[in-house]
Amino acid sequence: MTNELTRSTSAGARTTALTVPGSTAVSEPVVVRNELWAPADPLAYDGGQPTEITHLAQLEHDMSLRRDDARWSGVLEVIPTKADYVIDLLRANSLWPLLSGLACCAIEMMSFATSKNDVDRWGAFPFRASPRQADVLIVAGTLTTKMSGPLLRLWEQMPEPKWCVAMGDCTCSGGRYKRSYSTVEGIDRIMPVDVYVPGCPPRPEGLIYAMMKLQQLVKDRRGHWPERAIGPTVPQDV
Amino acid sequence: MATTYPHGTHKSADDPHVLLDDEYGQYEPIPPYPPRTERELEFYTPGDGEMYLNMGPQHPSTHGVLRVVLKLNGERVVDIDPVLGYLHRGVEKLCENADYHQTISQLDPLEYISSLFCEWGPVIAYEKLLDVQVPRRAEYIRVLSGELNRIASHALFMGWFALDLGGLAPILYSFIERDEIVEMLAALTGQRMLFNYFRIGGVNGDLNHDFLSRLGDWMSRAGKQIETNLALLNENEIFVRRARGLGTIDREAALRLCMTGPNIRASGVPFDVRRAHPYSIYPEIDFEIPTRSEGDSLARYLLRMDEVKQSLRIIDQCLEQMPDGPIMAKLPRLLRPRPGRAWAAIEGPRGMYGAYVISDGTDQPFRLKIHDPSFIHLQAVGALLPGHLLADTMAIMASLDPVMGGVDK
Repeated sequence: MTNELTRSTSAGARTTALTVPGSTAVSEPVVVRNELWAPADPLAYDGGQPTEITHLAQLEHDMSLRRDDARWSGVLEVIPTKADYVIDLLRANSLWPLLSGLACCAIEMMSFATSKNDVDRWGAFPFRASPRQADVLIVAGTLTTKMSGPLLRLWEQMPEPKWCVAMGDCTCSGGRYKRSYSTVEGIDRIMPVDVYVPGCPPRPEGLIYAMMKLQQLVKDRRGHWPERAIGPTVPQDV
Repeated sequence: MATTYPHGTHKSADDPHVLLDDEYGQYEPIPPYPPRTERELEFYTPGDGEMYLNMGPQHPSTHGVLRVVLKLNGERVVDIDPVLGYLHRGVEKLCENADYHQTISQLDPLEYISSLFCEWGPVIAYEKLLDVQVPRRAEYIRVLSGELNRIASHALFMGWFALDLGGLAPILYSFIERDEIVEMLAALTGQRMLFNYFRIGGVNGDLNHDFLSRLGDWMSRAGKQIETNLALLNENEIFVRRARGLGTIDREAALRLCMTGPNIRASGVPFDVRRAHPYSIYPEIDFEIPTRSEGDSLARYLLRMDEVKQSLRIIDQCLEQMPDGPIMAKLPRLLRPRPGRAWAAIEGPRGMYGAYVISDGTDQPFRLKIHDPSFIHLQAVGALLPGHLLADTMAIMASLDPVMGGVDK
């Protein structure tokens, strides 16, 4: 698959927009015409003529197209992109967590949201009380077997795309209650987890770092989301 | 192996067109089980015009994972059925399989807002079994750090109580104080929340420069800062009129429900374990026991804020009288107390926190029973809520200040 890609690009297929094989996403670029400003250098960007290059990936593969004849005051004539690329950028910078605390870590999660460690600065703020409005489920605290059903229901009620952060040793692996008869040894036994934050409890800074990692993860996968299972991902016998 | 559904074939409980034939996704009916007792039969038999409303276990203001089934008539609460156990971690059982030192770290997360008090009660019980004399400097450090923890706990109470009444600002202010206190306790103990600091026969580490400088900094402006924060609520007419007369519990009812701590002192009973059954160095320290007679939510709130001022006095005296000396009694590494039983109670931020230990002569406790005030106070909710409006349920519950970690253990 990768051979095919490299061969077609090295042959200089300039107008072929690169698509991920098997992708059902719309590969046509959204072209946003620049009608707001003129570049400082009138000869930049082919003298203001519309460019043939509509996809950044072409610039990546063809060295001859890489030229930098304008300052950043000019930026690009068009923004070649797909809608998912833009929307995921917005998603990464506005992760709304679910206001749901289970135990001790919930207090540190509040500290992470309030005055001193003001997580609003990184765009992970309004804590939503309803799972229908939340993007991130921060599982903060020991998950017991009795609570696992309600927690799963919360996770199912959250709309896609959604992410899960396991906060604290109890949710990562069982922690100090690993040997107890009534706890779940790590929430990844019942739901997918994107970021793990160890610590008992982790400092609020640890959770901020986790949210930054999550933002990085969202940006890295921008427009290339793997097919994730929708619906219950619970093992049958749990 | 996780069960996955191919795209488009999954079933959603939200989609009215999907007929759910499997057990998954169906809502539990109320009652979730055939009534097992007469009380359940009575509760789950609706009267004329009555309906049920489920609250929790995930609710933004249940202070943890408490589920309450409310029986409503219009907007008035008729009866409640609390469902506990969503945070039952089996702490007492784990303690039976850990040696005496290890139990301390298991007990920390019970009342996770005031962890030092969760260690303090059992540690005193162990010391009674072992006949250990704790060095005086260790006792002073215990009282000093404990009172700091009490202030942090009451600061959180102030924020939550206001939040449940609809005020968003106070929690931002109270978390500033709380964060400063836990940071200085972290300089002393090494952890922000679950300190694991008290040891059998003393404490884990001596006072250090980092802690003392942070404490000095904070003490120099704490009084003024706390007054500023209190002015946010005490001078707020909406808050005061809302909280006054809410969830009133009189002296006899409070005694009958075995309430302790600030909740019973707000009902006019001046019971404080620090004075009634003195422990540690509290007999030598000069402080008052604030008492109020109204017994409503406002009194419970104001009383806790008075306690903060008394705690500041205690901290001042501890710093003045702090003796030199060792911080740990000389003890063998492996502790084997004599067979027997011991009970110790301390005054936590929520009330009397007790520990009952049975030793069989081995290095592990045979049984460790924790008496937690949050559990006792949660009983009062059933007596307080009926007759109140639905919007007041959370405010009344918050004024009792339960912590679900201690309720479910």
